[in-house]
Amino acid sequence: MAKTTPYAKSTWDTLHNNGPFPLKTLYVTELAGSAHMFSKYDRYNDAAKEIQRLIREAADKNEGFRAYGSSWSLSHVAHQKDNMHYNGFMSIHILISQELTHENSSYVNKNLFFFECRNTIKRISEVLGSHGKSLKTSGASNGQTIAGCISTGVHGSALNVGSIQDYVVGLNIIIGDKSTDIVYLERHTKPALNDDFAKKINARVIRNDHLFNAALVGLGAFGFIHGVVIEAEDRFLPKRYVKKIKKELAMELADTIDFKNSTFKIDGEVDENDKPLRPYHYKVFINPYTNEDDYVVEVMYKKPYQIPYPDPFPIIKKSLYKDLIYLLIKMSEKYPKAIPWFIKRLQKSILPEVNEETLGTLYETFWDAPYQGPAFACSIAIDHTNSSKAYKVLEEMTQKEGPIPGVFAMRFVKQTDTTLGFTKFPTTCMLEIDEVLWEKSRKIMSLTEYSKRMIEVLQKNNIPFTIHWGKNSDWKFPNLVKIMFGDKVREWKSYRSGLLSTEMQKVFSNGFLEDTDLHTPNVTNEEDLIVSL
Amino acid sequence: MKIKNKAFVRWSIAIIVCCLFSSCYTVRLKNVYGDPEPDPISDRTDYYRMMKVREIDTVITVSVIDKDFAMLLDKCGSSGIHTVEYRNTFGGILLSAVTFGRKRECVLNMYV
Repeated sequence: MAKTTPYAKSTWDTLHNNGPFPLKTLYVTELAGSAHMFSKYDRYNDAAKEIQRLIREAADKNEGFRAYGSSWSLSHVAHQKDNMHYNGFMSIHILISQELTHENSSYVNKNLFFFECRNTIKRISEVLGSHGKSLKTSGASNGQTIAGCISTGVHGSALNVGSIQDYVVGLNIIIGDKSTDIVYLERHTKPALNDDFAKKINARVIRNDHLFNAALVGLGAFGFIHGVVIEAEDRFLPKRYVKKIKKELAMELADTIDFKNSTFKIDGEVDENDKPLRPYHYKVFINPYTNEDDYVVEVMYKKPYQIPYPDPFPIIKKSLYKDLIYLLIKMSEKYPKAIPWFIKRLQKSILPEVNEETLGTLYETFWDAPYQGPAFACSIAIDHTNSSKAYKVLEEMTQKEGPIPGVFAMRFVKQTDTTLGFTKFPTTCMLEIDEVLWEKSRKIMSLTEYSKRMIEVLQKNNIPFTIHWGKNSDWKFPNLVKIMFGDKVREWKSYRSGLLSTEMQKVFSNGFLEDTDLHTPNVTNEEDLIVSL
Repeated sequence: MKIKNKAFVRWSIAIIVCCLFSSCYTVRLKNVYGDPEPDPISDRTDYYRMMKVREIDTVITVSVIDKDFAMLLDKCGSSGIHTVEYRNTFGGILLSAVTFGRKRECVLNMYV
């Protein structure tokens, strides 16, 4: 039997120390041992029952309940003031046999895998690697859990792929404590697994594109995500280059994503007509405090997997130098005018080394990012055609009203189908600024004030935007979510209200949803919203 | 004379500070593969934040005739070790020096 240990706690914090936030009880559930319960499905279903028990307990106390995994979100999206559930020991994975594939499935059976909520990107990559498979994309590192990634929209920088949620094809969610409250969601236009699979996890099947797309980036508000079915692909090797190129060219590529007709050419990365190839990944690093003519860019091209290839892992981890960054930037709280000087001096350590080249799997390329002390990140999503315009206005504001101890970067992601996915533009530019968390002083504005100014500046310049759910922002900014998503908010709320009882909507709510006004139900007359189509 | 003494003291302090800095270091041997065991209750704010760590702070004795030393680890279970951290301190070096290498201070962090 799965066993849960409650811990009385007064506070909870994110990995990057963006709290602390108040908390009453932290629950940690451990699965039944495989020696006592041999079948993975049995252990999985046993854990589901235990989660349902905890949900009922919270509801009876008129309290909230929220699951979290690696605590990597920098916003308070993962926090719940009453009860938080640590998923860290819920990491079953199950291979999908051919007979469980839906008859109308367009997916290759061997590419489908079922993972319990806590499996991290790293663990999933290892499992897939052992089958010759790979994730299609990941974030810049690998410690996030799969449930956390999809709930907040973790994205990476794959131009033709999209975000992590975009290769999820099935969702198992616990929405209450009744036997019918374990649901398995899929798109009706792209079914993956059949009803026999749902029976194995005691779930009620709902195949509905709208519901699936709403629940996928669900911010933890659609219930307890217990497991996901993902579509993997054959293992490949991203060939990574770091180059310094002219500012104008880097921004032209950002604004157009037209590599084929650009002057940016890397030896060997051309087509049969000697035209530059469109890369798998494109990232621009920008230090806002220098007047250099060049930007550092990182580009990757997909190569077929073949061994041997050179070991991509760095031999020495330079953690000592990273500590130095933390120390120096903390000093800048007292002397903010020194920030540009510090960042310029530390540029070599903050940015990747120019002319660096690596070849490795996705797993190896986006490997561990060790804890480096308190950190912040503001990440704005804009249409890529607005990349240079948005950067210019934010750079001006940062220089004029800052400085802020951070450097900018741009990454580019294909559009998501999800209702509240922030990568909503046809090709989304994720414009982000991150580094070491600072504290407000008389000489430097707070992170929330800076985030608020970012929103105001983008609005003033008529640049449509969204914000990464897991990053820092002024989440209480009036009508922020409506400004970002318009009518999609109503749709998201309608599907949430339709799927969850009023009682469970309260249980799965939190301060973040209240701050963003996403906690209130949307009154809808559409009675048959939650049906298979 | 006084000026010479002051200079001597300053140089001595500078040398000791340099020794202290250069003799205190950390080496981590980390497995490329696998997730470390999490610890949601841990409030650590160092490299091992939210990780389960077993710390062994001990002095080992190596006799003159011994060529090697094996420390038996019984706190790590059977699932393997993810990271081993070895820390050296100025005190450890002094201890080793005054005992002619017989006593070695050892700080090991194991993350399984």
